[in-house]
Amino acid sequence: MNAETILSVAGLTKAFGGLTAVKDVDLELNRGEILGVIGPNGAGKTTFFNVIAGSMPPTAGTVHFKGTDCTGMRADRMARLGMTRTFQITSLFPALSVIENVRAATYRFTKTGWISSILRNGAWRDEEAAVDRAAIEALEFVDLAHRADANAEALSYGEQRRLEIAIAIAAKPDLLLLDEPAAGMNPEEGQRLVAMIRGIRDTGISILLVEHHMRVVMGVCDRVAVIDHGEKIADGKPADVVNNPDVIRVYLGREAVNA
Amino acid sequence: MNHGRARCSARPSPDWGEPVDYIVLAQQIANGLVNGMTYVLIATGLTLVFGVLHIINFAHGEFYMLGAFFTYFAAQLLGLDYISAAVVATLAVAALGILANRLFFWPLRREHEFTILLSSLGLALLLTNGGELLFGADPKYVDSPFADSIVQAGQLVVTQQRVLIFVVGAVILLALNLFIRHSRMGKMMRATAQNPEGAALTGVNIRQVYTVTFVLACGLAALAGALVGPTAMIFPTVGSWAVLKGFIVVILGGLGSIPGALIGGLSLGVIEALAGGYISLGFAQAIGYAIIIIVLLWRPQGLFGTARRT
Amino acid sequence: MSNRIFLPLVIALALAVPFFTANTYFHHLMVLWMLFSLLALSLNVIIGYIGELSFGHAAFFGIGAYTAAIVGMNFGLAGIPGLLLAAVMAGLFGFVIGYVSLRIVGPQFAILTLGFGSIIYTITNYWVDLTRGPMGISNIQPLGLWGEGGVALTGARGYYYLTLFLVIAFAYACHALLNSRTGRAFIATRENAPLAASLGIDVFRIKLLGFVVATAVAGVAGAVYAHYLTVITPDVMSLQYVAALIIMVIVGGRGTIAGPIIGALIYVVLLELLRALGPLRLVIFAALLTASVIFLPGGIVSLWRRLTGEETKPREAAE
Repeated sequence: MNAETILSVAGLTKAFGGLTAVKDVDLELNRGEILGVIGPNGAGKTTFFNVIAGSMPPTAGTVHFKGTDCTGMRADRMARLGMTRTFQITSLFPALSVIENVRAATYRFTKTGWISSILRNGAWRDEEAAVDRAAIEALEFVDLAHRADANAEALSYGEQRRLEIAIAIAAKPDLLLLDEPAAGMNPEEGQRLVAMIRGIRDTGISILLVEHHMRVVMGVCDRVAVIDHGEKIADGKPADVVNNPDVIRVYLGREAVNA
Repeated sequence: MNHGRARCSARPSPDWGEPVDYIVLAQQIANGLVNGMTYVLIATGLTLVFGVLHIINFAHGEFYMLGAFFTYFAAQLLGLDYISAAVVATLAVAALGILANRLFFWPLRREHEFTILLSSLGLALLLTNGGELLFGADPKYVDSPFADSIVQAGQLVVTQQRVLIFVVGAVILLALNLFIRHSRMGKMMRATAQNPEGAALTGVNIRQVYTVTFVLACGLAALAGALVGPTAMIFPTVGSWAVLKGFIVVILGGLGSIPGALIGGLSLGVIEALAGGYISLGFAQAIGYAIIIIVLLWRPQGLFGTARRT
Repeated sequence: MSNRIFLPLVIALALAVPFFTANTYFHHLMVLWMLFSLLALSLNVIIGYIGELSFGHAAFFGIGAYTAAIVGMNFGLAGIPGLLLAAVMAGLFGFVIGYVSLRIVGPQFAILTLGFGSIIYTITNYWVDLTRGPMGISNIQPLGLWGEGGVALTGARGYYYLTLFLVIAFAYACHALLNSRTGRAFIATRENAPLAASLGIDVFRIKLLGFVVATAVAGVAGAVYAHYLTVITPDVMSLQYVAALIIMVIVGGRGTIAGPIIGALIYVVLLELLRALGPLRLVIFAALLTASVIFLPGGIVSLWRRLTGEETKPREAAE
């Protein structure tokens, strides 16, 4: 693993009883890279994602993040190391206001506790200011600053998906895992999402994206890995991958049949 | 907290110097199995409501209390014999189950799970204190012709009433099992237990499932009260004793599991009887709780069921 | 910020109240209100902030009361050391019980806490050598600064100021909590535990922290209660008290600071007004709880918000 590698997955396997959802997958992600993982429905993308994100332990194989072995590590420890994720199904703090949603996300880079807030000491005051700044920056980034005081559940679907991204980046991670961020979006929202993901990368955050919206993946990713039946069948630049005969057969072919 | 033991058979004192007295041991176990069957009857209703409707009914024990009091009043005021009084009381409380469901559970089915738990706590307090108001706080005895006659098997001595508890309990559980396995309603209940939305889509009448489940659960609790009434004093606060025992059994066996309630209830009865006989009465009261802690440390989902974890 | 004017006014009023009347019974009711406020605020940390229902909170109140009574009698520690010990004891029990129970969430957690509460209640009843069993402990000495001798707190007025101070201090701590990293983690855990974990929050540890703080504060309330009434029986841990505390928090408004204090006031006032009704008043409390749960899930506090037309930002657990 070289210094530029932020995430390194080796021989990752996940079996549920007799069914092997992910089979011996190797994958590396470089700092500042946007890597897309695609595959037809049921190919094992979501399982792959969940194992990396710490939602479930793998059956075999290892995951290294920033040089630390974090195979099977709990999600919250993973997040404290610098890896945050979004969820496939909209996941927010629905009863809280938009700004409170984002403020809650600053947990991993803040330090002062309850006692400081009781004493109202300098460290607490500085940190609260930093939290506010980070929250507003994140909201501005996804263009939701004008809805800061609204309740999260009052937002439209598209706004809620953007708020999820704001929550994930307010945590200031080194690596962001996006689980089908374009699900349910119309083409216009998809375009906006592509621009947003590029913007996130430009702030120095590496991105792993699991998605089956081809247009989003091809438009934004530096590199694409294709998974089918739990196995990685291709890994390369988007332009190369779309021309890979295996990929055309198992992925695009099937999609064409489905369509 | 001593309900259920007040008129138990004599408890021989421990005799550590001598080898184990097998007659005494067998007597303890027999007593424990009878107490355990009461726990099973209480816990089955609790676990049924949770298994099918995903509701924890804090007021469940109050229906046990009502079963005992209704039996008492049916005998006193209507002049019924014990068996008729017990049947009338069970049916009346089962009918109250319909009302409780309509007022406290069905309207809240889409709310947060705490809402329904709290409203059932409210119902429990209403029934306990309402019971105290209506029935008086002083303890009462339910008369039964079986309470003072004994059955002897070898050197084991058990009152007829306690035999009745065990036999009726076993028969009712068997009937319930057949009902859930083979009747149309039983199938609808199982479908609801697995997936309420899916069941509703496939034409299961969820409203009817709620009603039947509560009728069964309240009826079972009332039956337990009617059966146990003649073996112990009854008083309006006995419901919290019953629901606590029910919870221990249900946690032991796993929430939502009827076989779990059976095994959990009988084991709790026997363990308590042995602890009470050989160690101390106070210990017998606490041992049930001690067991659930150990079980939960070892298997947080209970022996047979599942629970959500953090 | 109307709070800038409103809050000091309320505190000034609370300080002046004992001088409006020399009626010691009135002072006594004020002490009870403050004690219940402290208890309800501590239970509110569990129900309102970490979002779990505890049916065992009265047991920690009892542990605090018995700790204070026993160390007061046996070691003459009836002062601040006794209060601290009561907090440590209740918090220690809270830690062990929370550590076991918080692995499970939702209604099952509520039942587990009920079970633990019942164990402690049962042990208190049966461990006669330590607790004197169902008869309880009487002749507990009044609260001094460092124990026996020296300044001792007698009379309801003194206890009123002590409990008022404790309530204000803890209410302020709760207010500070909500504007802190820890408090945000509490609320995030309550609202959406998987998302909270994905942001680096150790959900189990956060819940345990909230539980231990809540139980320790309940222990302090119990200790003050024991010294104030000079008599305690195991009944302070009974289901009636568990229910009463839950009623205060829910009827007043969970997840708020004013809610539990108002809930405690309603409880104390109704208990007095309805004294003549005997068991019926408990029926009324039960009806109040049920009605509040069904028709006013945000409690009395949400009603006030609704009336003043302020935009509601529900802090209560999402329904």
